[in-house]
Amino acid sequence: MTESALLRLRGVVKKFSAFTALHGVDLDIHEGEFFTIVGPSGSGKSTLIRLLVGMDEVTSGEIHLRDQRIDQTPANLRPTCMVFQSLALFPHMSVGQNIEFPLKLRKEPAEKRRDRALELLDLLRLPRDYYHKRISQCSGGERQRVALARALAFDPEILFFDEPLSALDYRLRKTLEKELKDLHHRTGKTFVYITHSLEEAMVMSDRIAIMNGGRFEQIAVADDIYGKPVSRFVAEFMGEVNLFEVTSEDGKTLSAPGLTVNTTQDGLPANGKGLLMIRPEYVQFASATDRFDYLVEGQVQEEYALGSRIQYEIKGPQEDLITIEKLRENRLENAVGQHVRLGFNADHIHLIGEA
Amino acid sequence: MPASRSTRIVLFIYGLLVIGFLYLPLVSVGFASVSRARYLSFPIKRYSSKWYADALASSTVKDLLWTSLSVAVIVTIISVVIAFFGALAFARYNWRYRTAFQKLILLPIFFPQTVLGLALLMWFNSLGIIPTWKTAVVAHLVWIAPIATLIVAIRAYGFDPALEEAARDMGAGTPTILREITLPLLMPGLVSAGLFAFLLSWGNFPLSLFTTGADSTLPEWLYAKMVSGYSPLVPTLGIMSVVGSFVIIMAALCVAWMLRANKESKIAQH
Repeated sequence: MTESALLRLRGVVKKFSAFTALHGVDLDIHEGEFFTIVGPSGSGKSTLIRLLVGMDEVTSGEIHLRDQRIDQTPANLRPTCMVFQSLALFPHMSVGQNIEFPLKLRKEPAEKRRDRALELLDLLRLPRDYYHKRISQCSGGERQRVALARALAFDPEILFFDEPLSALDYRLRKTLEKELKDLHHRTGKTFVYITHSLEEAMVMSDRIAIMNGGRFEQIAVADDIYGKPVSRFVAEFMGEVNLFEVTSEDGKTLSAPGLTVNTTQDGLPANGKGLLMIRPEYVQFASATDRFDYLVEGQVQEEYALGSRIQYEIKGPQEDLITIEKLRENRLENAVGQHVRLGFNADHIHLIGEA
Repeated sequence: MPASRSTRIVLFIYGLLVIGFLYLPLVSVGFASVSRARYLSFPIKRYSSKWYADALASSTVKDLLWTSLSVAVIVTIISVVIAFFGALAFARYNWRYRTAFQKLILLPIFFPQTVLGLALLMWFNSLGIIPTWKTAVVAHLVWIAPIATLIVAIRAYGFDPALEEAARDMGAGTPTILREITLPLLMPGLVSAGLFAFLLSWGNFPLSLFTTGADSTLPEWLYAKMVSGYSPLVPTLGIMSVVGSFVIIMAALCVAWMLRANKESKIAQH
């Protein structure tokens, strides 16, 4: 793995006087990957991306791009490019001049610059006559595409994104997420994206890194981050989740207050404590005769319509409410106040080996 | 939002006051400058352009205009250059003594100009420099450059620092960034700072009084003539001074407008 990595970080530390924003981060990003770094604000993801593009200096540690160490190289000499949160389109230049800016810096002839700019407008599905438009005449979505075109004109080894979609409305964001994923396929470039939105990360990424408190909590493919989180933080960050505090006497038999366990399961160390995780979509309403590996009883507190799905909050034996989600066609009639039996099976649970 | 009745009344009174205290006096100076009589008295019996002819023929007036113009132009150029870099230091870059700089630069503005003029005169004397219009340039700069800096700084606060970072990220070095990004974006601020600098210098009296030595600027001469030996040239030169600054502002606005029109058409045909 390590030899083939395009970008390698080893023990990267960033301190701002007394505050340590990054505590020795290691990371490998591979060629052609769509890699997303997700974390809440203050987790260090913005600090990290600024180090990667060269706008801040590392306090210690090393960053390598292919065979070259780049952590001491200033931003203007690195073969990487970033799409800024604010997009940073130059307001005093036309769309065409914006896209050609990196080519002009390389002193490419005007003809060639123009051809490339028009090609990029095609690639991003912007009409060619946008070449003459002013930035102020473009809509939010068009500006995104211009910013992308400009970054692609630079032809970077890695294209970085600093939450460029966060200011857009929901529908446009959804459209552009898919376009970005599509663009990644068509260009074959390496994309490194940071966001605080789990959904954005899930839709687009090959691999996701979850950041918290200046460290990576977990780096894995999207399905594993969602289905096999390594900590309570990751589990809760990645959407709705039910966590039961469980103990294990022998590493095979789990027990938790109020939870009926009809199976044995590996995963927790002997005499270990941990968390049993089950996502809301895998919990079923159980009749008296249904057989499930795990059963728990409770009372429905609240019902929320989420569009195609209905979400129920159920007061169970533990302090946290149990959340379950059903498709609208499987809606429970007169749900609020009902006493219900909930069941789920061993192949849908995940055990987190920490208290 | 439509103005309420009371707001309209207040605005009307305000308008009357502006006209009564700002424009009417100026008009009366205008009348005085075209009256044949040596002293202004209404109604004016005979109109004449004699004083303008006299003024244009007089070598004193030429010297006055030339001195005032030299001081104002040099002050404008230097202020704009100082303001460009000063505004970046003020608003853009984080450096150790930035807050101290931001406060210190404001001090000359709050200093009474007469005191500042006196202090500078004493300072030039102790350095053994004989005051001329060149020392007045220095004195004007002490007061005007900070104002110009503030005007440009407001503009500098207004643009996204990510623009410069983006340019650097795409391979631009510092000189290229200044030329291609920072300068064009600060240009409106620089133009207004330049206009302010010119007008403040052109009309300045207290600083010039202390620091021009044997030379004299227009405002100084107007004052001197009012104190000792009124001349009918006083209103004439006063009007010429107002017209001069008006023409220069119009010329600057025209140039700015032409530059913009030129750029638009370049974008369009690009």
